[in-house]
Amino acid sequence: MLLRTISDRYPISISDRDTSTKSKLLGDILREKPQEADGIDSVVVVDNVPQVGPERLEKLKNVIHKIFSKFGKITTEFYPEADGLTKGYIFLEYAAPTQALEAVKNADGYKLDKQHTFRVNLFTDFDKYMNISDEWETPEKQPFKDFGNMRHWIEDQDCRDQYSVIFEAGERTAIFANDAKEPITFEERARWTETYVRWSPKGTYLATFHQRGIALWGGEKFKQIQRFSHQGVSLIDFSPCERYVVTFSPLIDTKEDPQAIIIWDILTGQKKRGFHCESSAHWPIFKWSHDGKFFARMTPDTLSIYETPSMGLLDKKSLKINGIKDFSWSPGDNILAFWVPEDKDIPARVTLMQMPSRHEIRVRNLFNVVDCKLHWQRNGDYLCVKVDRTPKGTQGVVTNFEIFRMREKQVPVDAMEMKESIIAFAWEPNGSKFAVLHGESPRINASFYNVRNNGKIDLLKMFDKQQANSIFWSPQGQFLVLAGLRSMNGALAFVDTSDCIMMNIAEHYMASDVEWDPTGRYVVTSVSWWSHKVDNAYWLWTFQGRLLQKNNKDRFCQLLWRPRPPTLLSADQIKNIKKDLKKYSKIFEQKDRLSQSKASKELVDKRRTMMEEYHRYRETAQQVYQEQKTIRLELRGGVDTDELDSNVDDWEEETIEFFINEEIIPLGDLKLNNLKWQKNSSMGRTCKLHTKDLHIHLGASSHGVK
Amino acid sequence: ICILWDCETGKQLALLKTNSAVRTCGFDFSGNIIMFSTDKQMGYQCFLNFFDLRDPQQIEDNQPYMSVPCNDYKITSAVWGPLGEFVIAGHENGEINQYSAKTGEIIKKAKEHTKQINDIQPSVDLTMFITASKDNTAKLFDAASLDHIKTFRTERPVNSAAISPIMDHVVMGGGQEAMEVTTTSTRIGKFEARFFHAAYEEEFGRVKGHFGPINCVAFHPDGKSYSSGGEDGYVRIHYFDPPYFDFELEA
Repeated sequence: MLLRTISDRYPISISDRDTSTKSKLLGDILREKPQEADGIDSVVVVDNVPQVGPERLEKLKNVIHKIFSKFGKITTEFYPEADGLTKGYIFLEYAAPTQALEAVKNADGYKLDKQHTFRVNLFTDFDKYMNISDEWETPEKQPFKDFGNMRHWIEDQDCRDQYSVIFEAGERTAIFANDAKEPITFEERARWTETYVRWSPKGTYLATFHQRGIALWGGEKFKQIQRFSHQGVSLIDFSPCERYVVTFSPLIDTKEDPQAIIIWDILTGQKKRGFHCESSAHWPIFKWSHDGKFFARMTPDTLSIYETPSMGLLDKKSLKINGIKDFSWSPGDNILAFWVPEDKDIPARVTLMQMPSRHEIRVRNLFNVVDCKLHWQRNGDYLCVKVDRTPKGTQGVVTNFEIFRMREKQVPVDAMEMKESIIAFAWEPNGSKFAVLHGESPRINASFYNVRNNGKIDLLKMFDKQQANSIFWSPQGQFLVLAGLRSMNGALAFVDTSDCIMMNIAEHYMASDVEWDPTGRYVVTSVSWWSHKVDNAYWLWTFQGRLLQKNNKDRFCQLLWRPRPPTLLSADQIKNIKKDLKKYSKIFEQKDRLSQSKASKELVDKRRTMMEEYHRYRETAQQVYQEQKTIRLELRGGVDTDELDSNVDDWEEETIEFFINEEIIPLGDLKLNNLKWQKNSSMGRTCKLHTKDLHIHLGASSHGVK
Repeated sequence: ICILWDCETGKQLALLKTNSAVRTCGFDFSGNIIMFSTDKQMGYQCFLNFFDLRDPQQIEDNQPYMSVPCNDYKITSAVWGPLGEFVIAGHENGEINQYSAKTGEIIKKAKEHTKQINDIQPSVDLTMFITASKDNTAKLFDAASLDHIKTFRTERPVNSAAISPIMDHVVMGGGQEAMEVTTTSTRIGKFEARFFHAAYEEEFGRVKGHFGPINCVAFHPDGKSYSSGGEDGYVRIHYFDPPYFDFELEA
């Protein structure tokens, strides 16, 4: 019909073959040419539409149009009627299938009024659901995959913690059990991972990376527990409860099906939800609450909080927080902390918000803020907000620590000003102390503070002129390591903060990483091939700074301790064990002594075998040597040169003296008692003069033997 | 060039010009035959040349009685076998070959090292030899069978190794070449000569002092001292204290 109208208006004969001219002249009209395939995919069916008579039909159509044209251009609409009223369902056709999809997504569930809530579906869906077979086939029951005891490593009699080591530039990955004498290889595989590995927060799984996705391994034999397909995955994050894992891949991400970030259920292997992601600059993008009940992410001016297991937005709405710069969860409670910068007259502020109630527990206003950083203590007992400010009238930047005491009513906050720029800050994991590195190289100072119940922050001790750029607390608290990594050439200081004593100062030249074991007994310092191409090794120290082992590994890359699950002992049981510690110590010391002697016995036995083997070889070689004596004599014209001092008769020994030095010493009144020449063992002669008051030795060297 | 000297008088007895640098040379047990290898350089291949000193014509004409070409990996170090029947050569790729001194054929092969062999030194009775390699290890071999007997591991390339004539010890020296180290080391005097027990393959001592990589180590024939030469331009001679000779690892 359209074409006829056009040819009436433009009496130029346009052949069908002349498509380019056709499209130039009729381009926009051609685009609207009805195409049968499109039709069905762009149609939506809207149900629960009010049934109206002809007098209100126009009004109804306007309302529908207003609501549904938001999603695209409505090209056709059809209001079927029966007995003078609209049937209560209508058909709308959009210009494109994507628009129809939008309508379904957004208008389904739209409440027009109390009695009418729209149900919107794609026309094609009806077909799909109509064609479901009548036969109900029970889904096949998946056989139970028994992976054995997933906590097997914790049951080690000698309480050896495990750690993973990647070496040979990533070609080999090994799991060792940590023994003070030497690491015990538990498992070693080639190409187990393509880039690096990660342990889950409670140590149950080891995650490896591959081009097609990640794999989780665990159990006694590190069997493959689960596999998640995510092409080009580069980053992952576990939920603290180990129920979920989040994977990120920077590869193609389609608009309909968000693929950049995927959240998986670990036990079932199911993909729970996908999200878009603009940049992975601040991984993890999704931050989990400590119990895994919520996860949240920040986008410009918005904080979106989701709940598990539904993976839906909490209260179906994100939080609108204008200017939000950063947020984090308390590691101990479901409390969110976030800060917003200054906005015209409104000062910058830090807010603590309880979830899921969204009740603001505490708000703290801050003035002249340049930047803020949130530091939670590991149990959530304290929050430190490091505030960089430019006070009015000055140019420089000063730093304040705002300490929030979470366990006290109404969360009191105390501020503390720091005179120098801050290099590092770290809370004692389970205590009330924190350590700060401040100043500028080469004058770097380490200060230790304690937060008291009444809010006073005491400076316990300050060490000056430290070679450190990082602080590593023991996971059990009290002890820490100050390290000067990378550019500071691996300077190490082991500190006991109960009395702020430096237990030991040492060095692991060019160390790039420091890792405490989960029990706080051992520290590993390492030089990773990723940061330095020589001397790649990891060293094991006690928590007091005593070096136990140096383990060189060809192109060593990464060492990660296997985390431990939280203890099953109650607080009372722990108290009782501490009381009986002396009794246990005795038993352990005996055990240690036994194993030490066993180790030396093993070593001694090994050496004995090696020596015997070597001697046997040497004997055989000697035999052959003797047999060849005649050949040797022949080669050297009858002269026997086998022994170093063979043919002594041909040797002439001659002693030659060289004049070395003349020294005139006036003896004055000294009476000469004794003058002796002595021949020294191999070198020369010395002259000893003994007088009543002094002995003088003179040395003269002569050498010559032929 | 390869030059033959008289030790007593210091006179040059022969001067043999070559097309490329001479890498390694040596006398056979009888002292009558010399061998030397030339590098693969400037279009010239690596050759293993043999001269018989009893034939002055060979020297005059600079014509070895045999010149064995090495096609793929050049020879980086070589020593004579115990009876002058073959030359044991170490190559750029870690291979060890026995070349017959009569025919030039390869009699035996061994591939235990993974990188260039920097030095080969025989034991005093020539029954075994030790190889020092860029792959951070030194290995002990039987000279006749090329059987691999022991391995001594370090974390740095080994430039030279020697076998003690009187004790079951070996000494090794090495280090990274200056241009390969990207950071300036603040460790002065920390390039060490390392002593290993030949049977246990365990390191039992180190001697500090060089402040550059050690390129060459050797024991005195009486085994009571050793010397080392390094990149820093110094030759150090160390005499062993009495405890060295009494030292024993528990076994």
